[in-house]
Amino acid sequence: MTTARTLVRPAAHARRHPTRARRAVKRNLTAYGFLCGALICFAFFSWYPIVREVLLSFQKTNFVGEARWVGLDNFRTVLADPGFVDAWVNTAEFTLLALVVGYVVPFAIAIVLNELKHARAYLRFVVYLPVMLPPAVAVLLFKWFYDPGPGLFNQMLHAVHLPGLSWLDSTSTALVSLVIVSTWMNLGSGTLIYLAALQTIPGELYEAAELDGAGLFRRIRHITIPQTRLILLVMLLLQIIATMQVFIEPYLLTGGGPEGSTVTVAYLMYQYAFNFTNFGGGGALGLMLMLVLMVFSAIYLRVSREEAR
Amino acid sequence: MAETRTLVSPHTLGTRRGKAVYWTTLVSIVVVFTFVFVFPLYWMVTGAMKSPDELADVPPDVFPHHLDLSGYREAWRQLDLGLYLRNTLVYAVGAWLFTMGVDVTAAYALSKLRPMFGRAVLGLMLATLMVPPMVILLPAYLTVKDLPLLHLNLLNTPWAIWLPAAANAFNIFLLKRFFDSIPTELLQAAEVDGASPARILWSVVLPVSRPILGVVSIFTIVNVWRDFVWPLLVLPDSHRKTISVAISSLAVQVPQNVLIGSLVIASVPTIVVFFVFQRHIMAGLTAGGLKG
Amino acid sequence: MRSRILATALAAALGATVAGCGGDGSGGKDTAPLDAGTKVSITVGCMPAKSQAAQRREWLEDVAAFEKLHPNITIDGKDAFPCIDPNTFQAKLAGGQMEDVYYVYFTDVRGVIANGQAADITPYVGQSKQYPSVDPAVEKVFKDGGKVYGLPRQNYSMGLFYSRPLFKKAGLDPDRPPTTWAEVREAAKKISALGDGTVGYAEFSAKNQGGWHFTTSVYSQGGDMVTADGKKSAFNGPQGRAVLQNLKDMRWTDDSMGSKQLLVDADVQRMMAAGKLGMYLGAPDNATALVDQFKGRYEDYGMAPIPGSTGTLMGGDGYLFSPKASPEKIKAGLMWLDYAMLTPGQGQLNYARAAKDGRPVGIPQPKLFGQNAMGEKDRQLRADSANLPVANFKPYEDAYAKVPGKLEPPQAQQLYTILDSVVQAVLTRRDANIDQLLADAQKKADAALARSGS
Repeated sequence: MTTARTLVRPAAHARRHPTRARRAVKRNLTAYGFLCGALICFAFFSWYPIVREVLLSFQKTNFVGEARWVGLDNFRTVLADPGFVDAWVNTAEFTLLALVVGYVVPFAIAIVLNELKHARAYLRFVVYLPVMLPPAVAVLLFKWFYDPGPGLFNQMLHAVHLPGLSWLDSTSTALVSLVIVSTWMNLGSGTLIYLAALQTIPGELYEAAELDGAGLFRRIRHITIPQTRLILLVMLLLQIIATMQVFIEPYLLTGGGPEGSTVTVAYLMYQYAFNFTNFGGGGALGLMLMLVLMVFSAIYLRVSREEAR
Repeated sequence: MAETRTLVSPHTLGTRRGKAVYWTTLVSIVVVFTFVFVFPLYWMVTGAMKSPDELADVPPDVFPHHLDLSGYREAWRQLDLGLYLRNTLVYAVGAWLFTMGVDVTAAYALSKLRPMFGRAVLGLMLATLMVPPMVILLPAYLTVKDLPLLHLNLLNTPWAIWLPAAANAFNIFLLKRFFDSIPTELLQAAEVDGASPARILWSVVLPVSRPILGVVSIFTIVNVWRDFVWPLLVLPDSHRKTISVAISSLAVQVPQNVLIGSLVIASVPTIVVFFVFQRHIMAGLTAGGLKG
Repeated sequence: MRSRILATALAAALGATVAGCGGDGSGGKDTAPLDAGTKVSITVGCMPAKSQAAQRREWLEDVAAFEKLHPNITIDGKDAFPCIDPNTFQAKLAGGQMEDVYYVYFTDVRGVIANGQAADITPYVGQSKQYPSVDPAVEKVFKDGGKVYGLPRQNYSMGLFYSRPLFKKAGLDPDRPPTTWAEVREAAKKISALGDGTVGYAEFSAKNQGGWHFTTSVYSQGGDMVTADGKKSAFNGPQGRAVLQNLKDMRWTDDSMGSKQLLVDADVQRMMAAGKLGMYLGAPDNATALVDQFKGRYEDYGMAPIPGSTGTLMGGDGYLFSPKASPEKIKAGLMWLDYAMLTPGQGQLNYARAAKDGRPVGIPQPKLFGQNAMGEKDRQLRADSANLPVANFKPYEDAYAKVPGKLEPPQAQQLYTILDSVVQAVLTRRDANIDQLLADAQKKADAALARSGS
């Protein structure tokens, strides 16, 4: 990655001490002394759990005796569950819907905000405000708004003489309702990141394009988007990774209903482990989700590294 | 700083039509944003002042009938929110201390002391970024429940929040990248004066790293405050819950106005933090591995 | 140096956890009473939380009195509100976080025993003086293959809970509540006709509570959830169909169930307390929740036996023992439960004190003892101190002995999850196909029962 000079080596090099080897040992010891807190934390709470995740999915654990190896049993159980395919479909659908709204909208907002010369601080503040609410608060707040009776949303629809919706109470709107909350509370960070990226685009590019007679939309297409291409890609991946893990929305809003239409993979995993006390089944689901997300994560890391250059 | 030229040229904006379009856009954006992002919060704050009867009214009133704060009072008293706010504060501050202590030293070691296998260690740490926290929820939970080798049960203890928070590869990455940019000459001078690496970290590196330390600090604290599923699992004891988990399990047990009151109270701390550290937070957002 | 902090931290955590752990559960078979010289300290779940001031004070009084009687025993109550959060209860169990004497719903008892998460207390249960008086039908909940695992705290059977003012307003007689599902439907129609967001009848349909109430309704129709051997599901029959058809008619034909669905108990109680709901299925202690938590008024509520009266679900809660608890702890725990939960005139059954503390007395719950002398005494004491309009619960209480109470099915939570979906479908989709839904649910339920194997 980076090739900054190290602290100790050049000094040692300059003086050619006979105790060079000893100094190297000392340097390494000091360094690992500094590192050991992180190594312990990572070992226990990152590296080991990753390994354990794989093991878990091939084991049956009941918390009293030792874990038993059961081969592919957990995968068989999970695959035979009629909710399994639904959960993946729901997750994919949620991710796609969240992309359509949550990906395009912040970029569009950022483009417009970047043109405004007034009220900038206010607008930025306001768009980021929901991000600062604890997600549990935002979700419970929307649960109240979604109440088909006196809830805010249906009352607003009634106010403009539109029929109310069932929101969380219908298989056709429940998932979309989750996407709306999710987008509302996450939109701000994307917007601000795009905004920062837009500000790095050199003004001359637009000037030149304008001299060539390019209209507004052509300028967006040929300058704005290519200039922010990497960030757009990074955000796309980040958002896919984030939304595929969606849990708190179904957990607090619908409990997976109606008729399982909002059971996501993460939620199903939680159900297996903590409602059916089947950690093996949960582990198998977790492993599958991990493999899928790792693909996206790997691309993300590649892209963001390229971007950092 | 002079305005750089953006998508629309200043010339176009200067025309009469341009001005008209500009102001229309500005006003409508301000109105729409206020409505979409602020109005729900207004609705929440005033909702807690309405009586349960008023809340059931169709159509609802935009203003509460009277300034009744009993919803807040009841939320505070009935749900014992003070306890949960204090808990969350303890978790957040502890996580911050651990993150600072562990990640700063690690990043310093990796950036400036450059031990053998340093790159491998960094690589292993960064690799954990590929595994989102949700997918290792179960094994992480089982680990905290019975720490390997040591056989400690960290459930219901703050350690279950503090220690995993420190295992944050992203922080290490940000810090290391910042430390990399500190000129070596600065450190060499201190070394010639006979300062130990710890001393150099403390009196040379940290003072110049304030911006990045601020970013990491705020995000660590805010993340603990926002986290839901992890504290839900590792702190099941009702006295140790975080504010988010507590309101999600308790608030359904109370009248509607009290529930809403508890939502408002739970969001006050993060909103205040946002008011105070707005600039840092927004700057930190873009520091996130996107633009150096 | 940071590592030293970490090491200290870990050491501190070590100390804390070791101190928190109890004995090692050597599972001896002694039936000797607890030696008065043996110091025992036990943790007990479901102590009333601070927000329930009166109950908490009473609990602390009980603990003080009990510890005076038995100076060698220390009771360390763990408060929680609610006592069980169904979402995290399993996590708590799986994490081994339960108290020495921990609180459970009847629903979870079988699963918990099957998972080996409760101690076998058969050798010690003889030391509970009150145990022989406990209604065998209730005690059955805590038994598995002749072994005993726990004692009940509350027991109830579900009935029809209703709003007296709304009955009056709708021109119905609050003293003559509906007795059949057809009458419920009629009443619901009249109540919802009051308008202004009033809902005639509400039913749970989320967080497994839909399945739980479906079970109750199936019992009320004379049906069953599983076959006698517990290996196959039995709800896909005329009774199950009748339950769903009735809901469907009320929801869509009559529109008497409101538009908001995916409700859970707290939502429904909130509606009831706000005076917007006519009827729902519930237990008598709902009245307490409505008044304490949701600021309702006792005189507004009445209770009738379950419509149809052919059968109802028996529910309740009680205490199990941690598998890690030592014999001494188990003995001490049994003594405490005897003292505070199961003796008329003491602890939770001290009605005179409850009335003096301004708490409601007169709700026909708990039903712990059945038709024996102890039960008679309990009823008498309660009647003597009653401060509620007891007559409002009379229809329910009169029929109590006549309506057979049934326990929850095996694999209850899994079946409830499956049936939640079914109830949700009927309440949220006008075109829901009941036969299809039941057939699908049957398939899933049979698979779940087969998987559990036992």
